[in-house]
Amino acid sequence: MFKRILIIFALVTAISLPAYAELTGENFTLTGAFKNETGMRLKDSLTGLNKLKNTLELAGEYDIKDDDLVFFIKTKYGYDSMYDTRKKYDFAEHYMRHTQRSDWLRDCYIDYTKDQWFFRLGKQQVAWGQADGITILDRVNPVDLSEYWLPDMSDLRIPLWMANINYSPKLNANLQILFIPDFEASTAAPAGAPYAFRSVTAFDNANKLAMHSLQVQNRFPGKQFDNSTFGLQWQDMIGDLTYTLNFLNGYYYNARTVRIGTSTLYNRSFKRWRMYGGSINKTFTNPGPMQGITMRGDFAYYNDEPIYYGNPSIASTSGIKRWDNIFWLIGFDKTFFTNWLASFQFSQYIYQDSKVKDAGITALTQYPFNSYTYGAQDQVENIFTLKISTDFKNERLKPEILWSFTDDNQGRISPKATYEIKDNIWLTLGMHYFYGSEYDSNGQFRDENQVYTTLKITF
Amino acid sequence: MKRKVLLVLAMITLACGYLFAGELEYFNVYKPKAGMTADEIMQIKYFNKYTLFAQDISFTGKAYFIDKSGSTRERATARKRINLGRESDGIAYKDYTVFTGPTQVKGLCNLSWTYLNSDKQQDVWLWIPSLKKVRKISASQSDDSFLGSDFTVEDISTRRFGDETYKLVKEENFKGFTSDFYKKTYYKDTPCYVIEATPKRANWYYAKRLVWVDKQYGTNIYEEKYDSKGQKFQYIFRWYEIHNVSSKEYPIQMLLEGENLRSGHHTVIINETVEIDKGLSEQEFTEGALSRSRW
Repeated sequence: MFKRILIIFALVTAISLPAYAELTGENFTLTGAFKNETGMRLKDSLTGLNKLKNTLELAGEYDIKDDDLVFFIKTKYGYDSMYDTRKKYDFAEHYMRHTQRSDWLRDCYIDYTKDQWFFRLGKQQVAWGQADGITILDRVNPVDLSEYWLPDMSDLRIPLWMANINYSPKLNANLQILFIPDFEASTAAPAGAPYAFRSVTAFDNANKLAMHSLQVQNRFPGKQFDNSTFGLQWQDMIGDLTYTLNFLNGYYYNARTVRIGTSTLYNRSFKRWRMYGGSINKTFTNPGPMQGITMRGDFAYYNDEPIYYGNPSIASTSGIKRWDNIFWLIGFDKTFFTNWLASFQFSQYIYQDSKVKDAGITALTQYPFNSYTYGAQDQVENIFTLKISTDFKNERLKPEILWSFTDDNQGRISPKATYEIKDNIWLTLGMHYFYGSEYDSNGQFRDENQVYTTLKITF
Repeated sequence: MKRKVLLVLAMITLACGYLFAGELEYFNVYKPKAGMTADEIMQIKYFNKYTLFAQDISFTGKAYFIDKSGSTRERATARKRINLGRESDGIAYKDYTVFTGPTQVKGLCNLSWTYLNSDKQQDVWLWIPSLKKVRKISASQSDDSFLGSDFTVEDISTRRFGDETYKLVKEENFKGFTSDFYKKTYYKDTPCYVIEATPKRANWYYAKRLVWVDKQYGTNIYEEKYDSKGQKFQYIFRWYEIHNVSSKEYPIQMLLEGENLRSGHHTVIINETVEIDKGLSEQEFTEGALSRSRW
């Protein structure tokens, strides 16, 4: 019933308010969007509906004192009707059918600007780094992977309540201080959902075999000052090269279930870690063979990163180690042939070691796990992405293709095309094609290739 | 007496030589004078195009993209520019453009820095709402469409004096332009220089432009583009409003209208409000400021 009301409200609002300007006052702006996402699992041919989600977004900005003091709020509520029609997914519906808990509140903050100071106080997301779609420095917020890495990054990040304080001591330089007393764990799809990780499914299967006797104890950080996350970013320019230096000290947002001895109890305990890093970006603007190329780079040193290990063949976790790992990326962008943009990224995730090397456990259970699949993790994971985009018909039609892959012969190819039907009606047609071993991040979804449409009506 | 006249003429010649041998000095107002060469006229035209007479300028406006069938798409924008002409880091000016509507593109911001050295490309940053992140991007190619309009990037922001060779074809009274959008005729019988501009770049997307420059203010009010076969394939019209600021006359472009004659697609860009020399801070034109975007 609720979803019907939601859909009717969204449609009526969208149709009756064709121009965004009508909701805009002198100090107040309200916008909204109704989005329908329909997905089809290719393997099931015409009966394979695996997404029928309607989402309503509302965003408002109120200028309390010109542009110096501004309140901003954005809300989003989604309902996936697929879980009403497809019994197959019923056991995931409690989590996937509608927006969970307070996730409907996407932004809620006050901006205050005074001379060289800028404060953003409230629920928000902060994006660090220059990488596209690969979170190297982008670790300030947890992520919601209930649809893998397929949604936009702004939808993947889980906003947190925080104080974001900025001071610009000189032109082009900025010191950002983050104080985050809030904590949310990164989330993944439950077993049975289209993009449930193999590890989640494996645990669920084990639980079924054990007659649902397995119990998971979540050990979230206590709500006290010491458990807050702190972040620092210094940004400046040397010539025309922009660089940042970053530091984050807080709780790691991912935790895996680790069995306590031989009991039916499993611990899911969140650990503290630190990230030191930096980023660069530069466009070669001077005449020469490099002219027009933009170079981007991220580097991060993860100190005390929680690494789970065990026997990958049975996807069972034996324990947890705290390793110092390195994750870095370099990317290049260039526009060719008038309006074809090519963007290439190469990245390496380098683990401290290839095995846990603990004499107290058997050799078979010493492998570090891929955090998504519980498959064996390479000590050096090489990741590549290539994105090509262009436009036609005066930017009305925008096709693009993203190919993301690793050196393990696994990856994802995602072509899509967006067409602007009217100012406030946009249609996207796309596909996600996964390939590789089921033990790999993308390969685990090789049977979940999907075609989808997105219809977005804004007001 | 004769010696005095010669001396004055020599000084004027020297002054003019200084003026046009290099860049025109920022924050002055220049107008064409009788007897100027095509190069001198075009230098003033570019000076006015990029509003280099002003310290800073802010616009709000709308763009309409109209296809052959009459289907119209709309964009609302807010733009700011700060002119620097600074030798120390070679920056000519900085531009900030944000889409304020429709909702689908609201919040998309673009920051660009343009350099005094015309061989140097712009530095460009983009705030991408779907990433909630600032991305340094590769500058658009000069022959790419500007934001989906019928104008190219260089028509709007990157073509500089010196990218073409210029020839004064004739002087005539402009026949007038009737705006499809406003149904009004502009600049009828306005005295103009007609200048032929030929790109220095080989095999460029146009072979020549004919440019009508208003004799009074040195503004480019109309132009036609021709391909290598001599076929006209595009026209662009610009209407300027004269603003008096500190007793100086600033020609401010308020309407830009053009058509691609091959596709029949039509673009109208209107500046609805304009603010000049309000003391904008350069701090507003930084990557840090861009990252404070909300939408």
